[in-house]
Amino acid sequence: MSDSSLRGKAAIIGIGMSPVGKVPGRSPLWLAANAAKKALVDAGLEKHDVDGVLSCHAFASPFHRFSVAFSEYFGIQPTFSNTLQVSGATASTMFNIGAAAIHGGLAKVVLVVASDSLMTGLTPDLALRSLTESRDQQYEMPFGIPVANTFAMTAHRHMKEFGTTAEQMAEVAVIQRRHAARTPGAQQTAPITIDDVLNSGWVTTPYHKLDCSLISDGGAAFILTSAEHARELGAAKPIYILGGGECYTHEHIFLMPSLTTTGAVDSSRRAYAMAGYGPKDMHVAGVYDCFTGTVIMMLEDLGFCPKGDGGRFVAGGQMTYGGQIPSNTHGGLLSFAHPGMPGSLFHFHEVIAQLRGQCGERQVPGAEIGLVHSLGAGFATNATTILGTENSL
Amino acid sequence: MISSEDAKRKPVPTPDADSAALWRGLRDGVLLLQHCGDCHNVQYYQQGMCRECGSENLSHRAASGRGRVHSFSVVHRAPGPAFKADTPYAVILVDLEEGPRMISSYTGGRPEEVTFDMNVVLVCEPIDDDTTLPRFRRA
Repeated sequence: MSDSSLRGKAAIIGIGMSPVGKVPGRSPLWLAANAAKKALVDAGLEKHDVDGVLSCHAFASPFHRFSVAFSEYFGIQPTFSNTLQVSGATASTMFNIGAAAIHGGLAKVVLVVASDSLMTGLTPDLALRSLTESRDQQYEMPFGIPVANTFAMTAHRHMKEFGTTAEQMAEVAVIQRRHAARTPGAQQTAPITIDDVLNSGWVTTPYHKLDCSLISDGGAAFILTSAEHARELGAAKPIYILGGGECYTHEHIFLMPSLTTTGAVDSSRRAYAMAGYGPKDMHVAGVYDCFTGTVIMMLEDLGFCPKGDGGRFVAGGQMTYGGQIPSNTHGGLLSFAHPGMPGSLFHFHEVIAQLRGQCGERQVPGAEIGLVHSLGAGFATNATTILGTENSL
Repeated sequence: MISSEDAKRKPVPTPDADSAALWRGLRDGVLLLQHCGDCHNVQYYQQGMCRECGSENLSHRAASGRGRVHSFSVVHRAPGPAFKADTPYAVILVDLEEGPRMISSYTGGRPEEVTFDMNVVLVCEPIDDDTTLPRFRRA
């Protein structure tokens, strides 16, 4: 491990989230500030202890520089700040970059914070349209491509190449709904069956409504600092960033090198190498789940099962309690909440809470090392972060 | 921020310096691919230089228009009000005979007809006085 490695250099010492789901009358800035206040309380710090802010854009907010607008709203003047944009992968990159900024001396205490109000801040059609705006205006959008479509075409090809079935994809939604039922505040908690998913109506084949993630309001925030400062502060249960990796394979869906093997292979390989752990060492995972088939492909590309076996892995109970890698134990984007780009921050919140042993009846026993994988833009962007307790260092 | 009025209109491509020839070609009924004179890479997405070797020695040649469906998805819930009346429609990824892959939509038949590896041919479909879209029908 080189001296420049981030392994164990930064720790997460505070976490917080706003109410999620339908939160009318609250702006993205309020949701972000609400989460940030809670994260600071959790860390035992004051807002003026924060000297770095990392965030991402909110569709329902007029500010291009969300991290800057947030700081004004929150009444702080940080000396390190950025509004990052690599779509759904941004969440993971905020942790990787935050750790690097701390390690490199650009900041001492970094607040990672993001939010959006896609459910009540935009009409449903505008929410969808705002997501399709991210496709190419010349080469993709004129053909009427919903955000689900690029992901649907990858899942469809996966079915063709590996025999993955609609039932196996539906199983992801069923399992995660069961997880959400045990998560206070989750947006959708009513039990569903495979038949419910298959009969929920087409969105874009092979995806039905219940194969697709939610549209939500919500925000989450995290306090990062150096491992050394975490010790000085006497943080109760710091969770360390053990490894980070990213991969950007294309911009346009038609230039994706393979529809069924993604940049998650390389992003996770880099994160595992930095952490000094492999997929078999993970106790819990947050796997980006904008659609059910996405989870199946990611379980393969993150190394939890061989390529093509993801459907059988899920149907065999391997992504839930008692299986190889309990994943999205809060319910994920499919059932907990999905306020757009910040969505994967809730996977971080959950994995960190699991590693702290704070998950009550949904606690994964003995969880010490976990992984979060964020992705976006039809698999164009992939970022992986590996987290661990003091024991994992 | 986007307005409700914007959401009702279908997006129309605005050609840029790199893509003007492509859209002009489509108006004339041909799909122009860029052929690199140095490394022989063929690209559909129009750039001022070759994506493989960086050479600016590129020439346009009309594609045969023949291709095969690599993957597809039939859209039932449109991305906003502008496409609602068209549903269901099939979005397709087509592997052109010359090598490049492109995204398009199926025309001239029912979306349920589309299958993996189906042979398709180019149809240049005008959508207004200025713009023609490259779509595909069954071969």
